[in-house]
Amino acid sequence: MTDFNRLLATLGLGAAITVSSFAPALAADDTIKVGILHSLSGTMAISETTLKDTMLFLIDQQNKKGGLLGKKLEAVVVDPASDWPLFAEKARELISVDKVAAVFGCWTSVSRKSVLPVFKELNSILFYPVQYEGEESERNVFYTGAAPNQQAIPAVDYLMSEEGGSVKRWVLEGTDYVYPRTTNKILEQYLLDHGVAAEDIRTNYTPFGFSDWQTEVAAIKDFGSAGKKTAVVSTVNGDANVPFYKELGNQGISAEDIPVVAFSVGEEELAGLDTKPLVGHLAAWNYFQSIETPENTQFIADWRAFTGNDKRVTNDPMEAHVIGFSLWVQAVEKAGTTDTDKVLDAIIGLETPNLTGGISKMLPNHHITKPVYIGEIQDDGQFDVVWKTPELVPGDAWSDFLPEDKGIEADWTQPINCGHYDTATKTCGAPAS
Amino acid sequence: MLKRCLAVLMLLLFAAPALGQVPDIAPLVTALAKGDFAERDAAITALAQSGDARVPVILNALVAGALFVDSRTDTIVRAEKSGDAYTLTNPLDAAPLGDAQKSDLEKIKVNNALRGKIKTLIGQMTLLSPDRATRLSAAQSVLKTASLDMLDLLKSAHAAEADPEIKAVMALSLEVLTLKSDASLAEKTSAVDAIVARQSRAAQTILLTANETAADDVKPLIEAGIATLSRTLGVWDIGQNIWYGLSLGSVLLLAAIGLAITFGVMGVINMAHGEMVMLGAYTTFTVQTVLRTSLPGLADYSLLFALPLAFLFTAACGIIIERGIIRWLYGRPLETLLATWGLSLILQQAVRTVFGPTNRLVDNPSWMSGAFQLGELVITWNRLWIVIFALVVFLVLLIALNRTPLGLQMRAVTQNRRMASAMGIRTPFVDALTFGLGSGIAGLAGVALSQIDNVSPNLGQGYIIDSFMVVVFGGVGNLFGTLVGALSLGVANKFMEPYLGAVVAKIVILVLIILFIQRRPRGLFALKGRFVES
Amino acid sequence: MLTKVLLTGFDTKARWLIGLILLVALLVPALSLMVPQGNPLHLDAYVVTLFGKYLTYAILALALDLVWGYCGILSLGHAAFFALGGYGMGMYLMRQIGARGVYANPVLPDFMVFLNYKDLPWFWTGFDLWWVAVLAVLAVPGLVAFGFGWLAFRSRVTGVYLSIITQALTYALLLAFFRNDLGMGGNNGLTDFKDILGFNVQAPETRAALFAATALLLAGSIFVVSVIVNSKLGKVMIAVRDAESRTRFLGWRPENVKLFAFVVSALIAGLAGALYVPQVGIINPGEFDPGNSIEAVIWVAVGGRGTLLGPIVGALLVNLGKTVFTGALPDYWLFALGGLFVVVTLFMPKGIVGLWAQLRRRRAKTPAPTVDRAPSLEPAE
Repeated sequence: MTDFNRLLATLGLGAAITVSSFAPALAADDTIKVGILHSLSGTMAISETTLKDTMLFLIDQQNKKGGLLGKKLEAVVVDPASDWPLFAEKARELISVDKVAAVFGCWTSVSRKSVLPVFKELNSILFYPVQYEGEESERNVFYTGAAPNQQAIPAVDYLMSEEGGSVKRWVLEGTDYVYPRTTNKILEQYLLDHGVAAEDIRTNYTPFGFSDWQTEVAAIKDFGSAGKKTAVVSTVNGDANVPFYKELGNQGISAEDIPVVAFSVGEEELAGLDTKPLVGHLAAWNYFQSIETPENTQFIADWRAFTGNDKRVTNDPMEAHVIGFSLWVQAVEKAGTTDTDKVLDAIIGLETPNLTGGISKMLPNHHITKPVYIGEIQDDGQFDVVWKTPELVPGDAWSDFLPEDKGIEADWTQPINCGHYDTATKTCGAPAS
Repeated sequence: MLKRCLAVLMLLLFAAPALGQVPDIAPLVTALAKGDFAERDAAITALAQSGDARVPVILNALVAGALFVDSRTDTIVRAEKSGDAYTLTNPLDAAPLGDAQKSDLEKIKVNNALRGKIKTLIGQMTLLSPDRATRLSAAQSVLKTASLDMLDLLKSAHAAEADPEIKAVMALSLEVLTLKSDASLAEKTSAVDAIVARQSRAAQTILLTANETAADDVKPLIEAGIATLSRTLGVWDIGQNIWYGLSLGSVLLLAAIGLAITFGVMGVINMAHGEMVMLGAYTTFTVQTVLRTSLPGLADYSLLFALPLAFLFTAACGIIIERGIIRWLYGRPLETLLATWGLSLILQQAVRTVFGPTNRLVDNPSWMSGAFQLGELVITWNRLWIVIFALVVFLVLLIALNRTPLGLQMRAVTQNRRMASAMGIRTPFVDALTFGLGSGIAGLAGVALSQIDNVSPNLGQGYIIDSFMVVVFGGVGNLFGTLVGALSLGVANKFMEPYLGAVVAKIVILVLIILFIQRRPRGLFALKGRFVES
Repeated sequence: MLTKVLLTGFDTKARWLIGLILLVALLVPALSLMVPQGNPLHLDAYVVTLFGKYLTYAILALALDLVWGYCGILSLGHAAFFALGGYGMGMYLMRQIGARGVYANPVLPDFMVFLNYKDLPWFWTGFDLWWVAVLAVLAVPGLVAFGFGWLAFRSRVTGVYLSIITQALTYALLLAFFRNDLGMGGNNGLTDFKDILGFNVQAPETRAALFAATALLLAGSIFVVSVIVNSKLGKVMIAVRDAESRTRFLGWRPENVKLFAFVVSALIAGLAGALYVPQVGIINPGEFDPGNSIEAVIWVAVGGRGTLLGPIVGALLVNLGKTVFTGALPDYWLFALGGLFVVVTLFMPKGIVGLWAQLRRRRAKTPAPTVDRAPSLEPAE
């Protein structure tokens, strides 16, 4: 550090300030830094803190294996505090001050949208581990969570099948933000295409952290009593789920009558609930803790040993980080450097075993292939898999079921190198309409 | 596989009844473990058709997820969890089969479709059961899935039934079947009339369902019936909205009433109020966890233990906060906002550090689970208890403030500190107790809220703004104002929600509060007297 | 007239402060742009943007100080004006994206294309022109403040009642902006900006210019606030703060004085919000969160209310602390921040700026005069 900056540092500004051209020389020598950008306080801490621990666990394991490129990995943890502009600030800090090689982080779509310009500007890499609404593919982001076609569509397919109960009437219940809006938009189109009448679809949105579900649950019950088999597709987010399920249980909506399939409720969320009245309600994910494979058993045992808690649950976004981290490590090894451009080139097409016995592959559109599982809630807070896709499903950034996305693909390999490529006109970026 | 199933089925259909013996159902039970859900479906049907008396027990075990394949012997066992291991029994004769580890067992899974089917089958098999409760649930499950092949069984069961409630359910099933059958128009008309005469939501559901498959000549009849029913049910809907509103209002009341003391009476802008509620909820969690491990028999009553403990714990926290921080700030009410805000950040993070950031599980006791019907109102037990609890807390507080010497001193100190001090009241002591009381009541609210909301470090944040709105709307310093304010905001919100949606209803409420304060700048029940004006 | 204001209107302290800030406004962009990378004096774009953001917070704090510190109105919803200004700027920046959005629609921003909007909603018209945006940035917070203040002050809503309904205001706006149906981007808000006035928002030059503009606005705000509080009107303002009823009995109209302060403050806050958005790159309903408004109050209190320097120092220090602690102590920073608030309240009633005077007074053993009481804010006592 230079004199001027040391002066600032002594004034207490040190953590905030450094000189861009000097730091890499320092950082590159002994360790490779990995940024962890998950909220540890505020409303999202409830979900994101586990992912921070997962990353620390993975980095610890990698270091025990000898690190990466002969260097130790070093985790840089910051707390963006569920504050979206702070996400952007912290992302910038991680990249330009701490000089991290890659960042693993974000949960909500808005946090991802907030940091996107920063990653593009400073050309770094973000691994995003949560199921999301699609309609995006960026050069600097890898989406290791599910795209809508890896979660929502298979779940609806299952419910429409005879095995799933031949559902004819649908409630699309969501929290009012972009992921439920987009998912529901895709599902609505999909249902209409499959012959569901418009009056057999009820869409409703509630605010974040909604806790008084009496009216809405009664309305669902009412809607479900019209003589056709009804199901609820829930994209209700985070904190609102516990009161929602408690109300469902108390008003006696059983899974045989009106099954609820959720896309944001996993083992971690169920830990705060008494699941006895909820047995049989469903969730669609790419991973369940209860799936018995040698990889998963080993992972759960190691994870519990690392956290020192033999009750600690695992969930789907954790697996997404496991896959993402493994792919990144492989890509860095293949490229022989942590240089962003080289890693971006190297990672496409790499494969890694996921925890459920398959091999996940990084696709040119920066999404990965994943199996889709439908699980039913059990009375011990776990899920029993009742259905799965026969093969791994490749993630699709642009939904094939929306008219405006027809023929749009993302491909970050040469010669296309575009996140929104129109295969018909062979142009990048949609033509001006 | 399928062939084998069919063979078994054939064997059953023809051989078993013909021989008049108890068939050996062991192979049928073994068949449950094989194949996918479709094959399991066939196996269940076959098992049910065997007519064996043990079948309902076996099927119930299957639904409960208690049937496993023991991979060591490749046989089907019934397993109950005991500690870390499982105790095994033979599903056929309940003979003990020793213990097993989880890794030895593979669960026989069922899905929703199978679960529904099994319940229907069990219903059919137990319609004539001697046990009243079994018969009732059987009648209800038959009602949901009544099909014409059950007609004879149902008729005989109906004729034999003595219990009026069960008989009514069976009669309804018969009416439903009449609509489904090829009975004459006159019979169907009287069936529709009989269903409509029940004036219930269930009747409406039945008619809507029947209408889907009804013949053209019956349709107008059914639709007229539905129209009649929905008029009656519309009146009940209003009652239902009032109930929802009261229930929401009582939650608001509970959350706000502690604040009505610390903020309303003492004038402390207590931003840490929500965290006191949260601490109350975490006390409930701790009490329940301790009870569950040490005295499992009492776990169902853990809330009763949690109430006094939560009150004492949060009251103690309140007294410490008052003695440590607030007492330096009397006469500077706005500074209390800053100090308590800082405190709320510290408390949230402290709980996050101690208990972890994720939700904690607080079970509903059995007496607070489920719902009951009052006419056509659906009332959930937990909401009912919370309404009662909120009113009790309010009454006790009112009496404490107006009828006890301590209450008198509290009012004296908050109205005129110096005069009260001159009269020999130990004002610091009273201040500490008042703040402790307000915090303690917040803790009680936490116990109640743990039953309907997340127990997480963010619990308090969700209620703090609403609590301030309620206290200010009702009139600062007036407990009655808080009561009326909370209930009227709750009811207004719930009346708007079905029409406007949850978000807009809330926005409208907030705008109404802003406008209302213009009309009555000191809330609904303004305090009168000289001390009001600055 | 103007010279008179300039000569007598504001005191030496304010003059020094403005001078200092103008120096910073020149120096920081110069160090960032003219000094080559690698030179010890070079300032990274990260620092420029970060401090640019802090300065917008400082302006918000100053605006709040005008109403709270000088006029005795504790607004717990001032971040609403900041956010409204920010949305005005955000709408302009969204329109500047033009056909470069993901869906390449020349008129509609991406989120509208996605939510099946066919036309631009009427309230988005004209936002492609920068002067319309500037007008909106001033007019919307100004009108909201005027309407709200006109109702509230005329009805003599005071004290905690006023504080809580300002909170209700920002909470209602929070919920409204969260709604996707409002046509303002819902929870994701407005983001992925490209250009401002034809310059790339991410270019170091633009960042430096935005920083300079923010510093200039801060200097301008100090000037305006200083002029107001040193004028006769300012004296009445302080009188309203200290004894509203007496001021009224003396023939003044406190409601008009308050309304004036409230609207001026909202205008300043709106401008600050407008400069905040291009520097952080996103505006979303989270900015309306009542917690943000309370935090702004805390900056003023930590720095010292009723002074010009206090809110600026408070905003800078608290936010710097937040930046440092969230990086250095990610698991424990709330303890540090919360502890800071408690300590400042208990031991520094006049804030950091007042600490010097407080210590000097203690040494002189004179009894400390009671802190400025805002009697209108007293509860029923």
